[in-house]
Amino acid sequence: MTTTTALAQPASPLKRITNVAKLHFANPWTTLGLPWIILGVIFVGMLTVWWLIYSAIDESARESALEGTQFSGSSFFIYIYMMVVAIQAISITFPFALGYGVTRRDYYLGSALAFVALAVIYTAGLTIISVAETMTGGWGMGVTIFAPVYFGAGIVERIFVQFVAFLFFLFFGSAIAAVWVRWKATGVTMFFIVVAALLVGLIALATFTDSWVAIGATLVDLGVTGVAAWSLVLTAISGVAGFTLLRRATPRNAA
Amino acid sequence: MTSTIEVTNLSKHFGKVNAVNDVSFTVAENKIYGLLGRNGAGKTTLMQLLTGQEFASSGTISLFGQPPVENAKVLQNTCFIKESQRYPEDFRPKDVFKTAPWFFANWDQEFADRLIADFRLPLDRRIKKLSRGQLSSIGVIVGLASRAPLTFFDEPYLGLDAVARQIFYDRLLEDYANHPRTVILSTHLIDEVSNLLEHVLVIDEGKLLINEDAETLRNRATNVVGMKTAVEAFIGNREVLHRDGIGGLSSVTVAGLSESERRDAHAAGLELSPVSLQQLIIQLTRTETKEFEASA
Repeated sequence: MTTTTALAQPASPLKRITNVAKLHFANPWTTLGLPWIILGVIFVGMLTVWWLIYSAIDESARESALEGTQFSGSSFFIYIYMMVVAIQAISITFPFALGYGVTRRDYYLGSALAFVALAVIYTAGLTIISVAETMTGGWGMGVTIFAPVYFGAGIVERIFVQFVAFLFFLFFGSAIAAVWVRWKATGVTMFFIVVAALLVGLIALATFTDSWVAIGATLVDLGVTGVAAWSLVLTAISGVAGFTLLRRATPRNAA
Repeated sequence: MTSTIEVTNLSKHFGKVNAVNDVSFTVAENKIYGLLGRNGAGKTTLMQLLTGQEFASSGTISLFGQPPVENAKVLQNTCFIKESQRYPEDFRPKDVFKTAPWFFANWDQEFADRLIADFRLPLDRRIKKLSRGQLSSIGVIVGLASRAPLTFFDEPYLGLDAVARQIFYDRLLEDYANHPRTVILSTHLIDEVSNLLEHVLVIDEGKLLINEDAETLRNRATNVVGMKTAVEAFIGNREVLHRDGIGGLSSVTVAGLSESERRDAHAAGLELSPVSLQQLIIQLTRTETKEFEASA
């Protein structure tokens, strides 16, 4: 008889966490492939539409039409999509990773690390594209697709705002995913009812106390960067909530 | 003897359902255990409790001397392959085999490659396009090649054909001989695995009914077949587990017989045959259920 299978040397905590993070990139199609492809398709579509408008209207109307593209929402999709990526990633890999003997704690921390990495990657990518957009004079037509005014004026501000926005959507998504893993569809429905009630409550509060003007003034005061910085509070709440929920979750089959 | 698992008064309730009900047992190191029982008996819940995937309602579990829940030190020595194991949808089998070694220190890639060939598993096809049997073979390959000191197989072979199942049994025994480890196998196909098992745990309605060495269990009963009168005369007031008869013939399952009793039976012109593990468990669980109902 040969030797008994030895107990594994405990892997270092950092190693265990990075292994989980790597798991999210093992097949990079959902996390890295598809979003860029969809973004590319939107980009080409937008350019085509603008090229048509550009050719159809005369010189004098052009300027005001192009000014409108400053408020382009075409790159918004990517943020919502990142929320979906976070939901998918967690709901699919959680039961899988636990079968591999991963603890919930290591799983959540590893996933959080992967999400921060995603935020960095997408911020970098969008920044490069927006720089290209500025350098080519709006793709030769003065069009704004990737550098809309919402993300601030300068490049530094834009990087910060985009990074923080990615973090928010990824961690908010991971909180939703934790609710899903733990309570399935019933939980997610309840979750959105509670979120909607909170929003309506806040709107009512602002309306009844006549605070809309004050709120508007505060937002203007804060500026894009200030608002983005405050979203970190929501991101942190989402992160803590996701962690707390997931630590008591059990991998069951889809309801 | 070292025990890999020690379970004391373990219970798990889901609402009013007692999925696992006051169960206590130990699992010795480097043996192959069969965890048997009917559908919904509590097998999967028990294994989920042992691997820290479920939280116990009461009682204690110790794996390698420590509680398993959220314990990385313990859990990284376990591998749990479920029948219903879900894989990330966009994964291909090769992604599964790429990621598995990150989590299993004893992973043997050569062994995995051999198993992939044995099971003729296509590596490049998306998981969602695989057949049920191919999906099961992924789990079986991970479970074997991970060489985790404590491996759980929960009905690992849904959809696997007879050839593939035999490959699984052969490779398990072969690899187990070279790399002894503790294996807990839950299955319905009791007769197929009965030669594999060294120890049998039978669970029914959350309760542990049988916890016995497989060899002892096999010797626990014998079929006595012959003319009705001769059979009746032989069994006297022995414990009868099961009784069948057609016309003047009778077949009775009785508790284990000694050598001299066997000679007596042969002399009386009776035929003796071993009872298969599956038959035995069916009969034992039936009687125990009856006793249980009678005492209730």
